[in-house]
Amino acid sequence: MSGELRPAHDVARGPEPESGVGSGPSKRRGPAAPLSQDSRLAIEIRGLVESGLHDEARERFGELVAMHQRRASRIAYQYLRDVADADEAVQDAFVKVFTHISTYREAWPFEVWFTRILINGCLDRRKARSRRDRWTVGAELSSADEARFSAANGPPDPERRLLARERRARMAAAVDRLDGRQRLVFMLCHYGDCTPREVSAMTGLNESTVRVHLFRAARKLRGLLGGKP
Amino acid sequence: MIRRARHLPEQRLYDCYYAERTGEAIDPRTAEHLADCSACGARYTEISRFLDALRAEGDAESQDAFTAERLQAQQQQIARRLEHVGHLARVISFPAQLVRRSISSTTAPTAPRWIAAAAAAGLFVGVALGASYEWDWRNQFARPVLTGDANVRLSPIATRGSGSNDVAADDAFLSELELALDRPRTRELIAYDALTPHVRGVRDQR
Repeated sequence: MSGELRPAHDVARGPEPESGVGSGPSKRRGPAAPLSQDSRLAIEIRGLVESGLHDEARERFGELVAMHQRRASRIAYQYLRDVADADEAVQDAFVKVFTHISTYREAWPFEVWFTRILINGCLDRRKARSRRDRWTVGAELSSADEARFSAANGPPDPERRLLARERRARMAAAVDRLDGRQRLVFMLCHYGDCTPREVSAMTGLNESTVRVHLFRAARKLRGLLGGKP
Repeated sequence: MIRRARHLPEQRLYDCYYAERTGEAIDPRTAEHLADCSACGARYTEISRFLDALRAEGDAESQDAFTAERLQAQQQQIARRLEHVGHLARVISFPAQLVRRSISSTTAPTAPRWIAAAAAAGLFVGVALGASYEWDWRNQFARPVLTGDANVRLSPIATRGSGSNDVAADDAFLSELELALDRPRTRELIAYDALTPHVRGVRDQR
C-alpha cells in the first residue's frame, strides 16, 4: 500500500478498522479523552439534521468550517501542491462531512474523522492527477497562483520570490520522494498537528508503526535537504 | 557512583520533538537526560531547528496560498454548496405550448416544400453559373495556350516588326483582346477601362 487510507467509497464511514490495513485501532483504544469542542458541535449538528432542522444545522456547521478550515487547507495544500486543487479538496471534504454527519460517532474526535475524509479526498485527487499527467505537461505554478502569491507578498521582490520558490520546490520534491506511508504520516503529524495516536486512528496503523514512519520520514528529509530546509 | 545513561537514540529525539509540539507528555527520563547531557541537548536542538524551519516554511507557503480573502470565499462557497444538500431535485416545467411546438417541429416527417424547391433552384443556378464561367475561361485563356506559340503571343511588343508572321500574331492577339472587351462589362471596372488605352486606339496609331 502506498499511503492510502481506504477506498474512496468508504470515505465517510468513520475510523473503524479496515480490512488489510494494520490490525485496526478500535481493539486497542476507546474514547478516553473528554469530547472536544468541535466534536460536541458535530454531535449537535447531527441532532439538528436528524430532526430535520437543516437550516440551523447549516448555520452551526459554519462554525465547524471556521474552526478547521485553515488547518485543512494547509494539509491539502501540502499534499496536493496546488491551490485550486487544495481548495476544492477542502470544500469537498466539508460537504461530504455535512452530508454524512449522521454517520459520525463520538467514539472518535471529530478532527480525526474529518481529517480522514480530507486525506482520502486528497489521495483521490493525487491519483487522478497522476493519471492526467501521463498525457499532459502542466505548468509548475499557474499564473493565477503567481498573481496570488505576489499579491500576498506585498511589493514584488523578484529575487526573494525566486529564492522562496526554489526552496519550496526543493522541499516539495524531497517530501515527494518519501514512501507513501511515510509521506502520509509526516504530513499529518508535521503539517496537520496530529499526534501519532490520532494518525493511528486515521490510518489504522499501529501507533508504534506511525512513530517509526514519522521518524524515518523526518530523518530522510533531513538527509535529502542537507540538514536545512 | 551514579552511572550515566547512554546517549538517546535519534528516534527518541524526534518523538520528543513531536510530543512537545502537540502538547503530549514527554517521558520524564528522556527530559531529564536532555537536560543533563549536552551532546544529546545539542542534537535535539539541531533537529528541532530543522523541523521548525520546515514547518515555518510550509506555513508561510500555505498562508501565501490561502489568504484571508480566499478562506472567506471558500467558506461562502461551502455554504452555497450546502444549501443544496437535503433539498430534493426540482424538475423545471416548461410551458406546454412551447414543448408541443418543439415536439411537432422535431418529429415532422418532411421539411416544408418551399425549402426543397429553394435548394433545387439554388443548385441549378449554381451549376449553370459555374458552367458558363468555365466556358468563358476556356475561351479566354485555354485556347491560345493550346493552339499556338505561347512565347510569341505573350511578348508581342518585343517581337513587333520582326516579320510578317509576327505582325499576324499581334493582330490575332489584339483581336482576342477586343473580343474580350466586347463582352458585357462589369460596372465596377468601367473606371479602369476608361483609364487604360483601347485596342482600337493602338491599332489606329499603327
